[in-house]
Amino acid sequence: MSTGTTGLTTPPRLGRGGAGTLVEGDAPTGSARRRNPNRRMRWAGLLYLAPALAMYTWVVLVPLVQSANYSLYSWDGVSTPTWVGLGNYGDFFTDPDLRAALGHVGVLICFFSFLPIALGMLTAAIISRRNLRGAALFRSLLFLPQVVTTVVTAVVWKFLYTPDGPINTLLRALGLGALAQNWLGDVTWALPALGVIGTWVTFGFCMILFVSGAQSIPQELYEAARMDGAGPVAEFFAVTLPGLRPQLAVALTLTITAALRTFDLVYVATQGGPGSSTTTPALLLYRKAFQNPDVGAAAAIAVVLAIACLLVAILIQRVTERES
Amino acid sequence: MTRKSETVLNYFVLLLFTAVVMLPILWTLLAALSPNMDGSASTDLQWSNFASAWTRGSLGQALLASTVITVGAVILQVLLALGSGYAFGVLDVVGGRVLFPVILLGLMLSTEALIIPLYFQFREIGLINSWLGLIVIHVGMGVPFGAFWMRATFRAIPGSLVESARIDGAGTWRVLWGILVPVSRPAILTLVLLNAMWTWNDYFVALIMISDPTKQPVTLALGAFQGRFTTEFNTMAAAAVIICLPILVLYAFFQRQFIHGVLSGAIKE
Repeated sequence: MSTGTTGLTTPPRLGRGGAGTLVEGDAPTGSARRRNPNRRMRWAGLLYLAPALAMYTWVVLVPLVQSANYSLYSWDGVSTPTWVGLGNYGDFFTDPDLRAALGHVGVLICFFSFLPIALGMLTAAIISRRNLRGAALFRSLLFLPQVVTTVVTAVVWKFLYTPDGPINTLLRALGLGALAQNWLGDVTWALPALGVIGTWVTFGFCMILFVSGAQSIPQELYEAARMDGAGPVAEFFAVTLPGLRPQLAVALTLTITAALRTFDLVYVATQGGPGSSTTTPALLLYRKAFQNPDVGAAAAIAVVLAIACLLVAILIQRVTERES
Repeated sequence: MTRKSETVLNYFVLLLFTAVVMLPILWTLLAALSPNMDGSASTDLQWSNFASAWTRGSLGQALLASTVITVGAVILQVLLALGSGYAFGVLDVVGGRVLFPVILLGLMLSTEALIIPLYFQFREIGLINSWLGLIVIHVGMGVPFGAFWMRATFRAIPGSLVESARIDGAGTWRVLWGILVPVSRPAILTLVLLNAMWTWNDYFVALIMISDPTKQPVTLALGAFQGRFTTEFNTMAAAAVIICLPILVLYAFFQRQFIHGVLSGAIKE
């Protein structure tokens, strides 16, 4: 889904523009062929398609080409651009901020992707068990963070993390006062603390995905496993996990690309600080494009992010297809 | 493990997760009603926080902006989705074999890849600081998902339904509005809900395209608000609740469609 998107700028929130919605096979289906629209209708179709195509060309296709073009110039947004070829892409190897930001993406992938997927699997395995009362309620509540605006999430968690905020109060009440921190103000802790917010947001989405996948696993497989004397854990590894491979591919694609593109959350919660301990490529893109304009460098980040997201989507699809 | 202890363990794990997920949300609700600036809970419920957040955060203005942008973008997005889905899914439009994959590419593209040229282009034609500008961007970026979604929906409708209408002499326009749209109501509702959620919750596009505080949608208003009132968490929490409320209410009524929509958007086999 989309987009994000769009959407989907930050935490793994499903939206348009959230690279990786799987594409169905494009052969016309039997029923479409049976309809066999005549030539006149096929041309009339252009009238129905034209508005969408025009908007898409204006807002997506043309800017896409322009982004690639911008990235080859050095430009402050005002004066005449100068051609620098692939020079802006060299920043990825030399600019320390950019390198740090790429490193942060690795940490964020753990919190936005791997952790929510693991936790989502665990809860989905429980929720999908037959005879579990209240499954629908648990599902709706656990999905709730996906619906809340990222800005609200960031503002609320920013407060939860303050030195005298609820999290530290809770730690002190549990006798773990030594662990209390100024979470987002500490160079070591700020990035993992942001990551936890991402886990909180994404986990419900992963869970929903796996619950839906589990519904399509034939019950006979479970019965067979039980006859072989499998307990719940063995059953999970023998039946549930292999059955969820397509959902796992989707979850990995969407959450990893979301981690690559993290913006809203960081921008509102930490502005990339303290120091540059929580900067992300998208945040640098924003700064370079709109704060201290170096538009070409920003466009190069945009192009690299887009290619990275595309590669992640293709790679994961390839791997999961080969295995199945 | 016996059946019973297994059940107890299952519920324990689920309740634990639900508690962790719900605590920040419940705590925000309590903080929004707290008389204390730090948002600590109190039995003295301060409903005036909402009024105070409303006036000091100019939320009325921001809610109007978000409503105009969301309603405008959603209506246009759905109309374009119906048209393109119809062209691809039912009319087998000329050139569709090439155009559909081109449009699907947009599903893989993120806002970041497009926003820089969009900003400079829109600045030239005066669509910066304009609700129309935001609507245009949301509508254009919504095309891939909309086309994908409605094409699949229309294709799932039995061809005989469309054929019999044609035999009765219905033109393409009548077939779309008289047959396909009424039959697809649930899928269209899902599309409306998802688009509404994405548009209402957008921050990134608005941050770049809107700098005039009188034009900003709720997400930007909250961002600006928290910058100014860092120490008054009760008022801020109240503002946060007001801003989320429209989507939360939609979610409460339509959670099945929301969840179904998110899933179908994510997986098509």
